[in-house]
Amino acid sequence: MAVFKRGYERYNGPLTGSATRFLAVPRFVWPKLLGQRFVVILLVLSLFWPLLCAGFVYVSNHADLLPSLGSGGDDGIRKMLSIDGKFFAIFMNVQSTFAILLAAIAGPGLIAPDLANNALPLYFARPLSRWSYIGARMMVLFGILSLVTLVPGLFVFIMQASLASTAWLQANWFLGQGMVLGFLLYIVMVSLIALTCSAYVKWRVVAGALVLAFFFVLAGASQIINQVLRVEWGSLLNPGYAIYAVWCALLGVEAAEDAPGAWESFTVLLLMLAALLAVLLRKLRPVEVVS
Amino acid sequence: MNPVIAVDNLRVRLGKREILKGISCRLGASGVGKAIGLLGPNGAGKSTLIQTLLGFHKPSAGSAQILGFDCHRQSLDMPENDSLIADMTAVAFLRLMGELSGLPAAAALEKAHETLFHVGLGEARYRNVGTYSLGMKQMAKLAQAIIHGPELVILDEPTNGLDPAARQRMLVLIKEMKEQHGMNVLLCSHLLHDVEQVCDEVVILKDGQIVHQCDLAAERQANKRFVQLQVSGDDRNLGAALREIGAEGVSESPGTWRIVLPVEIEVNALWRITARENLRITKLAYRRDTLEEIFLKAVGHLQPSPQPEVVHGRI
Repeated sequence: MAVFKRGYERYNGPLTGSATRFLAVPRFVWPKLLGQRFVVILLVLSLFWPLLCAGFVYVSNHADLLPSLGSGGDDGIRKMLSIDGKFFAIFMNVQSTFAILLAAIAGPGLIAPDLANNALPLYFARPLSRWSYIGARMMVLFGILSLVTLVPGLFVFIMQASLASTAWLQANWFLGQGMVLGFLLYIVMVSLIALTCSAYVKWRVVAGALVLAFFFVLAGASQIINQVLRVEWGSLLNPGYAIYAVWCALLGVEAAEDAPGAWESFTVLLLMLAALLAVLLRKLRPVEVVS
Repeated sequence: MNPVIAVDNLRVRLGKREILKGISCRLGASGVGKAIGLLGPNGAGKSTLIQTLLGFHKPSAGSAQILGFDCHRQSLDMPENDSLIADMTAVAFLRLMGELSGLPAAAALEKAHETLFHVGLGEARYRNVGTYSLGMKQMAKLAQAIIHGPELVILDEPTNGLDPAARQRMLVLIKEMKEQHGMNVLLCSHLLHDVEQVCDEVVILKDGQIVHQCDLAAERQANKRFVQLQVSGDDRNLGAALREIGAEGVSESPGTWRIVLPVEIEVNALWRITARENLRITKLAYRRDTLEEIFLKAVGHLQPSPQPEVVHGRI
């Protein structure tokens, strides 16, 4: 029977599990995000570097095809073409820039409209906790950011693994693991920054600018501290540096000697994530209590 | 019958202020549609009580349960203020709310259409909610609250900003919710006429405490036999004459009587008695407390047993 001919009846069917209901939110938001022109342009642009890297991987595994690198070719060039931790560190560094830009565009529209339209009571009046709400919003960003980080990264790694010998995979499997862990940590950090900015600034453009400013301002501040106090630990305040230090450790790449190490960077990142989460939870209340 | 809302010595403190000061009540009946009016002057704690029932505030003492569960497991709220996801079509908005309430995706889509037609937004269901008029937004809020057919629906000022026709439509929908669909409705409103029209029970809050709780249907029944009578002439024997027919009467002032008629005695009997006593009736009216009077008495703006003239003067 047509819907308009049928009267309203209470629903008496089975209900979905309460732990997975929040997954409905990303399903509704992704199509809207992918309908935004800037998001699509960024997604397309972000594919160029992985394609270049894929080409590089192909060439490195078919060096014999290059006339100048025939049998007994130059060892220096062979070494330059080798796929190692440094290659993946550079790959991740470039892709992370696209991830920040995407987060700056997609992130502000996630929480700010709910706060502006007073929609939080609608979510929290249902069996949905603040944690689930944050989880749902992070899932949105996780899906989008994965398209420019994890997905192309794994594509390049799997391509290399399939083109190279089994011996390479046995010796370098930690590169894939390190890349996944590194990108996961990065996505969580960028998502939390974007969501926090979205929760505190109602204007999308300003919130987006704030996401970018978070990285640039802290990078500048860390340099100022290093220069003025003649220390190196100021770099820890730079989330870009801290995440890169962790990536280097995960990928087995040597970091600068006198700079803060991976564990210090990781600890600072964890503290930063905890602070962002606390700030976000403080803002996400269904009702404002005025003292 | 199990109550839908069970509140036991509920105390809620916001900052340094205690808003709810030990509220205890049992409201609604599980499985039976009932509408409960929540009344009170501004600052009485109505919204805090609703928000506590929804789990937005933690009680500092006591407990609040809905259908035996702590707070918001089976209820759905229609907030007083604008509370919508503006950049979604009404169908998508309701579908999302349905899925978050536990409906499977296909059922949520079906129910979204069905509910929007039910509240009168069928033709506008593919428009963004942000473009709706105030009345349409109120209906959309009601629709999102009932899409999955909850046992309890909490409506906070549902007729706010509605024109008379839309207001009437909203009240009809609320009546249908309880009478045809067996939902319990907690209705918070300042419009006593609306509450009187749809509610079966009324709870009146003042300064964070329940000052009055009554069953409106029973109250109406009980008050139906009160008659106010004004006569001219010598009415000294009227009291005895009333007792003869089994009625009780009290002279409030010379010529003014308040009479309680037993169910089996018709008003015509009063005409006969007054004629027999050579009295001329100048006024005869049923005298029952309106909700407005119940409310004003409860919040202390009206004396409990007022003289009619004084009542009119104060109102």
